[in-house]
Amino acid sequence: MEWKKGSAELLILSLVEARPRHGYEISKLIEQRSGGTVRFHVASLYPLLYRLERRGWLHGRWVEKSGQRRRRYYRLTRQGRRVLASQLRGWREFVVGINRITGVENA
Amino acid sequence: MPEWKPEILRRLALLRLSPAREAEIADELGQHLEDRYHELLATGQCEDAAFRTAIGELKGEDLLARGLRPVETDWYREPIAVGKDGNNFFSGILQDLRYALRVLRKSPGFTAVAVLTLALGIGANTAIFSVVNGVLLRPLAFQQSQQLCVIREIVPQLTKFYPTFPANLPSFRIWQQGLHSFENIGIAAGISMDFVRRGGAIELPGAKVSSSLLDTLGAYPALGRNFRPDEDHLGRDHEVILTNSFWRSEFHADPAIVGKAITLNSESFEVVGVLPTSFHFPQSSELGALTNFSPRLAFLKPLGEDPSQIDLMGDFDYAAIGRLGPGVSLAQALSELNVVQAQIAKQANEHMDLGAEIIPLASEVLGPVRQSLLFLLAAVGAVLLIVCVNLANLLLARVPRRLREAAIRTALGASRARLVRQMLTESLLLGILGGSLGILLASFGVSTFVSAAPPGVPRLAEVSIDGRVLLFAIVISVVTAALFGVLPAWHIAHTELQDALKSGATNTTESRRTRRLRSSLIGLEVALSTVLLILAGLFTSSLVHLLHVNTGFSAEHVLATDVDLPPRSYSSNAAGERFYDQALAAIRTLPGVLSVGWINQLPLAGEGTVSVIGLPSTNKADVSNFPLADFRVASPDYFSTMEIPVVAGRIYTEADRGRKLAVISQRVAERLWPGKDPRGQLCLINWSGWKTFQVIGVVGDIRTVQMDKSPAMMVYMQDLPFDNVALGGSIVVRTMMDPSGAASGVREAINKIDSNVPITALRPMTEVISKSVDTRRFQMLLALLFAVCALFLASLGIFGVVGYSVERRRQELGIRMALGAARQDLLRMVLRQGMTPVIAGLGAGVVGALLAGRLISSLLFDISANDPVTLATVVLVVAAVALVACFVPARRAMRVDPIVALRYE
Repeated sequence: MEWKKGSAELLILSLVEARPRHGYEISKLIEQRSGGTVRFHVASLYPLLYRLERRGWLHGRWVEKSGQRRRRYYRLTRQGRRVLASQLRGWREFVVGINRITGVENA
Repeated sequence: MPEWKPEILRRLALLRLSPAREAEIADELGQHLEDRYHELLATGQCEDAAFRTAIGELKGEDLLARGLRPVETDWYREPIAVGKDGNNFFSGILQDLRYALRVLRKSPGFTAVAVLTLALGIGANTAIFSVVNGVLLRPLAFQQSQQLCVIREIVPQLTKFYPTFPANLPSFRIWQQGLHSFENIGIAAGISMDFVRRGGAIELPGAKVSSSLLDTLGAYPALGRNFRPDEDHLGRDHEVILTNSFWRSEFHADPAIVGKAITLNSESFEVVGVLPTSFHFPQSSELGALTNFSPRLAFLKPLGEDPSQIDLMGDFDYAAIGRLGPGVSLAQALSELNVVQAQIAKQANEHMDLGAEIIPLASEVLGPVRQSLLFLLAAVGAVLLIVCVNLANLLLARVPRRLREAAIRTALGASRARLVRQMLTESLLLGILGGSLGILLASFGVSTFVSAAPPGVPRLAEVSIDGRVLLFAIVISVVTAALFGVLPAWHIAHTELQDALKSGATNTTESRRTRRLRSSLIGLEVALSTVLLILAGLFTSSLVHLLHVNTGFSAEHVLATDVDLPPRSYSSNAAGERFYDQALAAIRTLPGVLSVGWINQLPLAGEGTVSVIGLPSTNKADVSNFPLADFRVASPDYFSTMEIPVVAGRIYTEADRGRKLAVISQRVAERLWPGKDPRGQLCLINWSGWKTFQVIGVVGDIRTVQMDKSPAMMVYMQDLPFDNVALGGSIVVRTMMDPSGAASGVREAINKIDSNVPITALRPMTEVISKSVDTRRFQMLLALLFAVCALFLASLGIFGVVGYSVERRRQELGIRMALGAARQDLLRMVLRQGMTPVIAGLGAGVVGALLAGRLISSLLFDISANDPVTLATVVLVVAAVALVACFVPARRAMRVDPIVALRYE
């Protein structure tokens, strides 16, 4: 499927908004919530996570929970939160614009 | 369980990431694939299919690398604990610093001990160095002080008594006119004048100076003006320039004082100027023997030169300071000066030659204090070395624990150089922390030193913490850090780190090499403290010997009262006699007073009048035939009061006044009339002209000038042999009880006779003796302080090392005990191992002390530098302290419960 530029970033940022999650959890959530239509592979998910981390939007940290192997959890930074807010706004405007053009009116 | 990492690493290889980053990514992605694999298994796939699907997530050979390349290649942040060589040197150092801070914060006890001992060591060194800097190194506080020199006169016929003399007035005038090598020459002599203020009269120390002196020194009054050349002469000399400190303390820094008059010796003097704070008059120790300047001058006054009294070969009373002309060498100046001196001698026609010497002012300062100060610097340096050794030992003890960390870091890609750098950064950080605290301590130390130091140390007022001292503190902090940090760092760099990873962290045993290293460090500590203790012991014995030296008089129960007779009201001998007669009579009636006498100068309170004495038959033309003696004017009761024994004949009495009788000391009798009875013999003395005296009695020799010099030849007389302004002197009172109890009575009695007579000192005679050995005592106390610090630190070191080794060997000790070793055997074993380096160190220390003793033998009194009693005492003390330091942890070894020890770990 075609992606709006930046939409993958938006997905990830919004998923870690509530609480820190590790990479596998993020990929599972995207798959589940999109009903299987959107899927990230290792080869695309992690470069994206690292890029967001490099920009300072996410912060990754190794966490060891009892009984589990250690995983890297990503949480939203303050800067990431601001970016997410503005991207959400942009996304909504985009959706509203598309709807107007295509004539799909809200009832 | 499938292996994911090789697959991931193969794909990452293209990116050439750092091993650390590569490992981290492989870890995370591997975990993801593992999760996926388990999920697939749970859906019922077979292992093979699940593996292939999971690996498929990596999507071909190069997708991962392509995705990561833009993110990873220009961005690589090294994880802080890893220690791989970074690309950026400075960011690496910052990282090391952050890490070092974290390590130090994690062990606060160790950090506190390290920083505190370092602070003490560095602080003490900085304090002593600032004294050395202020006294020995800093240039004198005069403009172009390297051009300044002291000029002294040499009378070849008298060099066996006095190698040099200060200058006399006529010579100075001739030099001023005839010498071209000097830009300027000034002279000065110490004087004191009475100054009356609220609370009574005080004796004010000052100097009479030529109008050229301040110009020569390159100093100018901060207020008012310098003296004018015409004010050098008698009658025009009623002006004073005040020193800054006196102006502040007495006149509250009132600038209006210039132009006003103050009263000195009951005469009026106009204040014409005030010196700047920066002006420090050179002290007597700088200007040479026979000059006498107080270290706390209050005023300068003009020379008061009387042209009618010119004696070309007498009154060598003035310190002369010259400023060499530009480009003139000392040798050039001296040869010109000697030509002029020869002319003066010829003109004087007294059968004596005249020469001169010129010494740079700066080198005069160094003189006798140099050796003492350098010794103190060496001693305090040794203490710092012990601090270093202790810290190195502490750090070495932490090495096994650090080895595991180092091994992990190496495995993650850190180079050995980086590991060493990290370890050195930690010690450097400790050094900097200790150094900063040390500088703080030093500033307290310096003020304590300056206030406690005896008056003999020159330029103490100039001692302060300046840029050079700070630089010194920084350098020793860094060097210290390098010294104690390099051993553990080197050790880590040269250990097979993989072995450290294999064995457990806590059980990593100390290698034999580490143990030997730690033992030799203990040996070094013990050796250094032994040397210091032996030297301090030698100083202590010297002082004890000195205080027990037979002075020839008894100072117990004697009160000494110094009085100064104002010249205006006591302008003749007779006036002085009247005052002393009345004072002695009044004091004699005070309760508790056994006897009372007076003398013009107390023993051990400075040199008095020194002149020649001989037989009437001696050729007067050649003074070198005469020995020199110390002359004193003393009342008849002086001898019984001081309990100076009469050996032969009798003491003069009141009835003998004016009869020119002399009482001599035994050494004079032995020198002039060997084997004969000196009673009734005539002798020739030169005290303001030649006079003949008759010897009436012989008294015991006493230590007159210095405790550590054999008794001088003494001549006592009842009256001054010429009429003069009455002498100041000391009234000595022997009491039944504590002499201090009589002080107020004596003061009252003197005040009642003449309240204008200032009492300049009132103290037990024992204090006079004790003061005369102040310099030695001060030196001894400091040496002892450093030595005890050294011993304390060394015993801490021993305690630490033995305790640590017992802790590490719990298991071994438990096994030995389980196998039947008796507790006593274990105790003996631990003690033996602990004491072996101590004994080696003691041996080395004794050898070191024997060598060092040669360097300080001139500072000792009546004791050899290899005094066996001191050596043996110190060896026993060090051995005993070390034994205790070993015994405490060794007893813990004895209490090890074999079961617990074996279960342990």
